[in-house]
Amino acid sequence: MMALKNEIGAEILKAIRAPEFIAPTLLMPCAFYALFSLVFNNSTNNSLYLLATYGVFAAMGPAIFGFGIGIATERDRGWLQLKQIAPTPAYYYIAAKLVTTMLFAACALMPIYLIAGFASDITLTQSNWVSLFAVHISSAIPFALIGLSLGLMFSTNGAIAVSNIIFLSLAIFGGLWVPAFVFSSWMQTLALFTPSYHLAELALSTVNATGEYTPITNLLTITMMSILLTVLAIWAWSKGH
Amino acid sequence: MKPTALISKNLQLNYNNYSNNYSKNKGDSKALNGLSLTVPEGGITAILGSNGAGKTTFIKCALGLLQTNSGSLQVLGQPAGGKRLKQHVGAMMQGADLPDLLSAREHLTLVCSYYQNASPIAQLIEQCGLSDFVDKRYKTLSDGQKRRVQFAAAIAGRPKLIFLDEPTTGLDLKARQILWNTIRNLSQNGSTVILTTHYLADADALADHTIVINKGKTIAQGTTDNVRNIASGTVIRCQTYISQRTIKSLPTVKSVNTSGRLIDILCNDSNTTLKMLLELDPHLSDLTVSTPSLDQAFEQLLNNCSTTQGLTQ
Repeated sequence: MMALKNEIGAEILKAIRAPEFIAPTLLMPCAFYALFSLVFNNSTNNSLYLLATYGVFAAMGPAIFGFGIGIATERDRGWLQLKQIAPTPAYYYIAAKLVTTMLFAACALMPIYLIAGFASDITLTQSNWVSLFAVHISSAIPFALIGLSLGLMFSTNGAIAVSNIIFLSLAIFGGLWVPAFVFSSWMQTLALFTPSYHLAELALSTVNATGEYTPITNLLTITMMSILLTVLAIWAWSKGH
Repeated sequence: MKPTALISKNLQLNYNNYSNNYSKNKGDSKALNGLSLTVPEGGITAILGSNGAGKTTFIKCALGLLQTNSGSLQVLGQPAGGKRLKQHVGAMMQGADLPDLLSAREHLTLVCSYYQNASPIAQLIEQCGLSDFVDKRYKTLSDGQKRRVQFAAAIAGRPKLIFLDEPTTGLDLKARQILWNTIRNLSQNGSTVILTTHYLADADALADHTIVINKGKTIAQGTTDNVRNIASGTVIRCQTYISQRTIKSLPTVKSVNTSGRLIDILCNDSNTTLKMLLELDPHLSDLTVSTPSLDQAFEQLLNNCSTTQGLTQ
């Protein structure tokens, strides 16, 4: 357990010492949320929608970039090779990265919640906040699996490029910035295949907003996607090994 | 019979198993081509070979990072890459770097926590000469300092067997001496050290045993003295204006190499060769006559590898 604790400590240190990682992943979602919920917003329904979807967006950044680019860089530099020959199990390294990602996702969520709670017209019960936080923080898991696969399959430069494309695609097609129901029909169909869409729907259900699908359908879809992404990550790990 | 730390028998590994670039660049299809070698327990064994000979590939196989196509590889009596082995094996890999944003102390704290029987961090810092920069971030260190941190990480678990892949690359003379002393201490404390190096002086100074590989095959192995003695003859070193071509044409001369302003002549018969050289250049100067170094043995082995029979002991 000491190895896992030190691994988590090392990951947190690496993350907080990289301002190029912290600034966009922590500040951008909060800045976007403040802009769209306070400046361009005139309805409580919109406020709830934005809180639910921007929370997913906030968790997505640390997960995709922290895993994707972080792992690609460390793999390129040979650090993963040293991990593979070390006696600790490989999942310690992944688990430490996941804990760090969730910690940073929580840090990215807090200012959004503070703005929503104190500066907007949203009123939520304590249990609403808790369920919303649980969905938001858990949404880091499928995104982290995407990041892990990217990090294991691409070089650093490749991972930067592909992570950005995937990050933006998931945000746009998942309806995190603009609701999916205003999309054209083919975009709405595409949205169904993104975890971001189902996570946003799940988050909306926690704040009593109705989505297109039932929460159980969203949950099952996300679970299926996470299983597929886990298989992809395992394949990428064994291929790299 | 002396116990062995590592035995490989007839290892075969195709390039396309792990790198398409290799097969495209080299024309050869095999990274390891029937490699067989034995590393005795204890002591220091050097694996020598030119670039692309298969040294690093072999180490990766021994560490379980690459799977061979055929052959057997036993490390400390167990199949290579086994989980139980990992507590007892350390490695400093060429091209395997540590993350930039942690200090040397933080790296060692992390790596030591992987092992059940890790060295105290203070001891590692002193042993590897890290005290001047132990709290600086890794990215701010010089290449030589980085190598020392990597070395400390490799020995953190007090390994029974340690692989050092080109350990002295990028080190200055002082750091090299510190590393040599640490490697000797490790060996004296019972660890088996396997090192690959381009610096034959390292092998000459450190290694009890030497293995020479070429194109994925062992071409010589034995005690370092025995391998050195493969280069029969004498080395004449001198300064002369005679052209290399003329010297090479002398009947007793086996090979000629320049070393700065001096020229090294490996010959069968030093007296006859010297007489001929003095006839051609009466002003020949800075003359020394010696037995061949490991460098010369290595070069001779590579030149003759198609015909040389491996010396095994």
